[in-house]
Amino acid sequence: METETVLRVPAGTSLVEWYFEQGWTDGLPVVPPTRSQVDAAVEALGGEPDFVECKVPPRYGSLTREVLAINVVMAGCKPEYAPVVRAAMLALSVKAFNLNGVQATTHMAAPLLVVNGPIAREIGMNGGCNAFGSGNRANATIGRAVRLILLNVGGAWPGDLDKSTLGHPGKYTYCVSENEAASPWAPYHVEKGFSPEDSAVFVLAAEPPHSVTNHVANDPEGILDSIASAMTTIANNNAVSSGHCAVVIGPEHARTIAAKGWTRHDVRNYLAMHAYNLFSEISFSGRYGKIYNRNLPKWYKREPDARIPIVPSPDHIHLFVIGGEAGRFSAFIPGWGHMSSPVLRSIETAAQPKAPVCVDGTCYL
Amino acid sequence: MRNAPDQLVFDPRGVVETERLARSARVRKLEGLRLAVLDNTKWNANRLLRKTVARLEQNYAFAAVNYYRKESFSKEADPALIRTIAADNDIVLTAIGD
Repeated sequence: METETVLRVPAGTSLVEWYFEQGWTDGLPVVPPTRSQVDAAVEALGGEPDFVECKVPPRYGSLTREVLAINVVMAGCKPEYAPVVRAAMLALSVKAFNLNGVQATTHMAAPLLVVNGPIAREIGMNGGCNAFGSGNRANATIGRAVRLILLNVGGAWPGDLDKSTLGHPGKYTYCVSENEAASPWAPYHVEKGFSPEDSAVFVLAAEPPHSVTNHVANDPEGILDSIASAMTTIANNNAVSSGHCAVVIGPEHARTIAAKGWTRHDVRNYLAMHAYNLFSEISFSGRYGKIYNRNLPKWYKREPDARIPIVPSPDHIHLFVIGGEAGRFSAFIPGWGHMSSPVLRSIETAAQPKAPVCVDGTCYL
Repeated sequence: MRNAPDQLVFDPRGVVETERLARSARVRKLEGLRLAVLDNTKWNANRLLRKTVARLEQNYAFAAVNYYRKESFSKEADPALIRTIAADNDIVLTAIGD
């Protein structure tokens, strides 16, 4: 059955060029969808092509399963990737994420997706070498499908409703899986109350990853001091607008840290305690007049020697083990600030975390 | 290609359901009106708004100038705040102030 989403163009039309001319791409060529490809993606979503999954701000277009499928095919996804894209869009639609703000802000934030659980392995996602880079179809096209939906359905066209001053490369695709096999700790979603057999997607409005190099430390403190150093610039949004962030520990660093008996809980607490600036630093010692900074929590002292933490609590640090087996690197990924809260959502169903579950010294309610 | 069938293409945008809302009546003069000033809490909003009000007051005598603040610059204002502004004022001045 044809719906209003289906149009006709003369035979012989270059479809790649036609989609460019409509303004319905991210700047790269899209895969021109066929009826059978769209139907296969709708089927992977459970059928019912007219079912509205959510509305996508700031344009508030209706994301029906068919529209979702069209964007999934255009991005180059296999049908089995479609449930991951849907889960990500539903996570982005949670009110606390504030997708309207993320889409429109002058800041460079883009939604970061991290996938945990069996589905990441089943569809061949990459949480290993070059995970944040190119080369893996699932990572590349799931992230791209989300971006195409944010553009086409959400209307976040640069300069129009997306007012980002700079943007960042993650606005093409920003999607990885956790390297659960190489991690000495429980997976991220298990820390948050899911079972290891559940699949889940985490979304965070995020700046690009900032590399953390440390080739000398053989203890947790040395490695984590390097990460804390990357966190404590006065320029990232967490430093001046608080909120959530992600920390990515490379497998080599993770093994060194875990070998000393440190848990995820210990790592997050260490970073929360030792990553801070002085208020005099973020207020430029009064050079531009008295600054209160309404974006920071009310309970912080606005005194020159007061410590201003990068995050207001250890739970604002979202810790993942990602990366290749070799290399003593980790990464800090700043968030947008207090204006957006990250969301973790089941990929299969609307099941909620079965909290409380305690792993690695953490009980998350 | 003569007589060849057309090709199918797909619109990826989704439907936008809209509702037409009436605009408030425009004021014809500022003199004697109650001015609401809505601060969105952006870095420079308060300073920009206060300087703008000072400039306006050089030319117009407002019956009142009432200051209000959103809880977050990136989120919609509380509907109760909007109702208060609408009930107690004739015009509103706001700015981004990034």
